[in-house]
Amino acid sequence: MIHRFRWYEYGLIYLAHLLLLIFILAPFLEALLVSLRPLNAIFSIPYRFVTPDMGFDAYVTMWKNVPLLWRYILNSLFIATSVTVLALAAIIPAAWAFARFEFRGRDAFLGAFLAVNMVGGAVLIIPLFKLMVTLRILNTYMAMIVPGAAFTIPTGIWLLRSYLMRIPRELEEAAWVDGASRLYILRRVIVPIAMPGIVVAAIATFITAYAQQFLFALTFNSVNELSPLPVGIYQFFGRQRVIWNELMAASLVGILPVLVIYVVLQRYIVAGLTAGAVKE
Amino acid sequence: MGACVGQLNLKDVKKSFGAAEIIRGVSLDVDHGEFVVFVGPSGCGKSTLLRMIAGLEEISGGEVRIDDVVVNTLPPVKRGIAMVFQSYALYPHMSVFENIAFPLRVERRPQAEVEQRVRTAASILKLDSRLHFRPGDMSGGQRQRVAIGRAIVREPSVFLFDEPLSNLDASLRAEMRVELVKLHAELGATMIYVTHDQVEAMTMADRIVVLDGGEISQVGTPLELYHLPQNLFVASFIGNPKMNLIKVRCEKVDDAGIEVALPEAKGTINVPVDRRRGTKPGHALTLGIRPEHMTPDKSDLNLRLTADVVEHLGAQTVSYAGMSGMQEPFCAVHKGTAPVRIGQALTVGINAEDCHLFDGKGRAFRRRVDLARLAAAGDI
Repeated sequence: MIHRFRWYEYGLIYLAHLLLLIFILAPFLEALLVSLRPLNAIFSIPYRFVTPDMGFDAYVTMWKNVPLLWRYILNSLFIATSVTVLALAAIIPAAWAFARFEFRGRDAFLGAFLAVNMVGGAVLIIPLFKLMVTLRILNTYMAMIVPGAAFTIPTGIWLLRSYLMRIPRELEEAAWVDGASRLYILRRVIVPIAMPGIVVAAIATFITAYAQQFLFALTFNSVNELSPLPVGIYQFFGRQRVIWNELMAASLVGILPVLVIYVVLQRYIVAGLTAGAVKE
Repeated sequence: MGACVGQLNLKDVKKSFGAAEIIRGVSLDVDHGEFVVFVGPSGCGKSTLLRMIAGLEEISGGEVRIDDVVVNTLPPVKRGIAMVFQSYALYPHMSVFENIAFPLRVERRPQAEVEQRVRTAASILKLDSRLHFRPGDMSGGQRQRVAIGRAIVREPSVFLFDEPLSNLDASLRAEMRVELVKLHAELGATMIYVTHDQVEAMTMADRIVVLDGGEISQVGTPLELYHLPQNLFVASFIGNPKMNLIKVRCEKVDDAGIEVALPEAKGTINVPVDRRRGTKPGHALTLGIRPEHMTPDKSDLNLRLTADVVEHLGAQTVSYAGMSGMQEPFCAVHKGTAPVRIGQALTVGINAEDCHLFDGKGRAFRRRVDLARLAAAGDI
């Protein structure tokens, strides 16, 4: 298909882009502005875009005010990374099986995975809590990692499966004829070829794990040292007042790792998410 | 290369998917060192049969033996076969060297042996200078050679080829055909080759297996299939352009042959074939004559035709003309640049000894052809 737009059509398209971007980025901009303001200027009425005495003080003082902040950030990274690794260990072989092998109940399982995603973690918090008590893993990293992985696996399988289905079956058959075992084929043939798809699944899992850890950390962990950033950030809530500028500064610093990963790997994401959409 | 044994026996081999029978009882014996081509139209089951021999498809019934061992339930690697796929099935993330070395890596062979065997295979296939390339940087013909190299390093008793040349363009295909024949002579291994292209089958095979609807229609050398097709299917499948098949009526049956009358009183011709009990005057038969067997002079029967389409190929001229008793136009090949024009009448002569005759069920009457004499005369 060839598209030729008129100038006003281009105008409308860019206007739509602009609106969407403003909608998405405005909170980030506000967070940045708040983090730069002194605390007493935050609630000034009328609202002013630029207030006097803006600076990066909050980025320095936050480390003193909440001494464990670096620990929370590291916890967040550690939990999200562990969730990703654990989830991938299950996603890769499972996605291959769902993509390639015929077995009874395959489609039913895939449907069930989607259903799990629809239910979501919050509904299952109480049964999960009881499970954690029984397994004696309450207040450990495990309590936050295991459910995190469990809830990201279904999406990961769906994502990676569509990618794996594009790999020609003959590649596996050739390896099979040459005497390779299933695991050998997975390791030496499928995983290297599917790397772009695996990266996409990994990023999607990491971002989800980073975002969803609040719920599990809040319910399954009460040890301060193990808290991830979203929970740790509550330390900025004082008895009398909330230190908004430091809170926002900490949030932005906490988002940075994900942002960096996303920027570095975004070409994989675009390639991977659209993979299989069009027959080549 | 190590000594290859390479005997393959199929006994009443069957394959069905649910109620659908894809392979309906195939029996075949392939000797050591033979180049056997499975040929047939798409959907005839030739690839399925190959995959059953390879161990990629389950065998529903019958027996597959390789080197006198029943391999029905063995995994491919234990069958002593190597397979080359239509799409080459090269691993895009590995170098040519690693692609060829793959089967040896699976067996965890020592590095020195891997090096040596890969280099031997590469030199046979003239890939020496390209071992560090990735498959993506190579042409189709080179990729196919890498795929063959991966089969060679395993030193299998039987090579299986699944339409290996159909992804190549015409000139490269002709080149690779010659190379494969040379390779076969060099390795002396048994090769089973699947193709839908009857030219590939005719040029490469020691023996051709023509498959039709999951059954063997005929097995024979290329010349046997060309001169003595046992049925209408083989007769029309082998040869290009296709054999002309004309509906005729049986006039007279005697020891000299069978005399048949062409429709619309175009004449009669006495075809020298062995008679068969039950064939009587009045029966509907099918007369077959190959387009290349037209003689301009001293023929047994002259046909006056009007060409609808004429193709001038330089070395020969092909004409197509409407003819009663035929579903397709009557095709004739004239030597050189013949003065044949569209819409103009032309006369083609046919000789009785070139004719084929088939009964109402499509079975051929035995022609009196001496294959040894034909081969000696170089009439290929």
